[in-house]
Amino acid sequence: MLQADKLHRTLSASVAVSGISLSLARGDVLGLLGLNGAGKSTTLKMLCGMLVPDSGSVTIDGHSMQEQPLEARARIGFLPDQPPVYDDMRVEEYLRLCGQIRGMKGQQLSDRQSEVIEQCSLTTVSRNLIGTLSKGYRQRVGLAQAIIHEPTVLLLDEPGNGLDPQQLDAMRELIRRYADEHAVVFSTHLLSEAQSTCNRVAVIHEGKLVADVLAQGEDLEALFHGAIS
Amino acid sequence: MIITIAKHQFLTLARSAQTWMIAAILALLFGYLFLQQLETFLNIQDQLSLQDYPVGLSGYMSVRYLQPLALAFTFVAPLFGMRAFSDEFSRHTYALWQSSPVSTAALVLGKFIGMSMVMLLLVLIAVGMLFIMISFAPIDLPIVFSAATGLALCACASMACGLFFSSMTRHNVVAIISSLALLVLLWLLGSASFGELPIQAISQLSIASHLSGFFQGYLQSADVAYFILMTLMFLGLTVVRLDSLRQNGY
Repeated sequence: MLQADKLHRTLSASVAVSGISLSLARGDVLGLLGLNGAGKSTTLKMLCGMLVPDSGSVTIDGHSMQEQPLEARARIGFLPDQPPVYDDMRVEEYLRLCGQIRGMKGQQLSDRQSEVIEQCSLTTVSRNLIGTLSKGYRQRVGLAQAIIHEPTVLLLDEPGNGLDPQQLDAMRELIRRYADEHAVVFSTHLLSEAQSTCNRVAVIHEGKLVADVLAQGEDLEALFHGAIS
Repeated sequence: MIITIAKHQFLTLARSAQTWMIAAILALLFGYLFLQQLETFLNIQDQLSLQDYPVGLSGYMSVRYLQPLALAFTFVAPLFGMRAFSDEFSRHTYALWQSSPVSTAALVLGKFIGMSMVMLLLVLIAVGMLFIMISFAPIDLPIVFSAATGLALCACASMACGLFFSSMTRHNVVAIISSLALLVLLWLLGSASFGELPIQAISQLSIASHLSGFFQGYLQSADVAYFILMTLMFLGLTVVRLDSLRQNGY
C-alpha cells in the first residue's frame, strides 16, 4: 500500500532525513518513534506529498507521488501535528468541504460524513463552530477530516496531542479498527502509545531509520534506547 | 473542484467582519460621490450643453463618479486577497490543501474566483446606482457597460496582486503593504514624465493610463489585454510560489 525508498531531505542546510525506506501492507500500524527533531514530521510530510524529497521515491497504492501526485494524494489521509481546521466553520460543514475536495459528493458524502462524526465521537458538537471547541475535539475533527474519504494510507503526526486518557483509548481503538482494511503510520514520542496501538515500530534518530521491528513481544524502551545510543 | 474552492473562499469572505466593514465604507463612498456628482451635473448642465460635443448625464457620471471609484477599487481589492494564503499559513490549514488531491492551479483559480465574486458584487452595486437615474434621464448603456468592465478588470488585477503577496508571507500586514506599494508604483508610472524611449515605454505599464478609455466609453483591446495579462501574471506567479513551498517547505 505504501512504499518509500531511500528518502533524503535537507532543510535549512542540515540533513533532516537520510536514506529512510519504509514499506506498509494492509493491516500495518506503524509507529514512528524518535526524539524531538529526529525527522518524524519531515518523513510524514514527504509521505503525504507536502514536501518533495531531494532524492528517493514514494508510491501509494501503485501511484508515484512524483509522477501522479493527485492520484497518490487522493489515497492518503493526513493529520498534521496541528489539525488543519477552520475556526469559522461548523464541524459538519468543514467535514463536507474536506470530502468534496477529495472528490466525494451526494449521498456518498452525506453517509460518510455522518459515519465519521459518529466514529470520532463528534455528534454532540457537529453543529458547533470549530473555533469554540476544546483542543481534544479539534484534534478529533482533524482525525475525521483525515479519514472521511477512506484513504488507503492514514498518516498521523502525533495524533494523541491534546487528548485525555479516555479520548486516547477511543482514538487507539479507532486506529486499530481502521487498520483492518488500510495501513496507518503515526508518529509519537510516547513509547506506551506505540506499544498499545502499533504492530510495527520504526525508530528514527538524527534523520536515519535505526530500527524497524514488529512491536509484539518487544521491550520498546530497551529497543528505543539501544537504537538511539 | 474549482467551484468547491471558490464557494469556500466566497463564504469565508462573507463570514468575515472585515469584508462587511470594507463593503460598508465603500457603500458610503459610492453614495457620497454619486450624490455630489449628480448635484454638480444639475448645476452645470446648461454650460455643458453649449459645448461642441455636449456630455450627457451617463458620460458625465461615468467620468466623475465611476472613474474615481477605480482608484478606490484598486487599493481595496488587495484587502480581499491579502488573507487568502497568509491566513492559511498562519493557521496551519494550508496542510489540508497540500495533502489533498487538489492541483495548485485549481486552488489559486478557485480562491481567485471566490474573491472575484465578492468584488464583482461591489462593482455591481457601484454601477447599479447609475440606474437610479433611469426614471428621469436616459442611460447610455454602452458607456456604463464600458465603465463597469474597466472597474471589474482593474479590481480583479489588483486582487490578483494581493493574492500573490499573500502567498509570499504568513503575515497579512506584510502582504497588504507589499501589494499596495506595488499598486501605488503602477499608478504613479503614468503620471511621471519620462524622456525618451525606452524609458517612456515604462509609462505604458501604468494602471491609470489604461483605465481612462473605459470611462469615456472606449473599450480598447490593448487596455483589456493589459488588465487580463496583469491578472494572469499574478495568478501564475502565485502558482509558482505555492509550488515552490513543496520544494522548500513553509
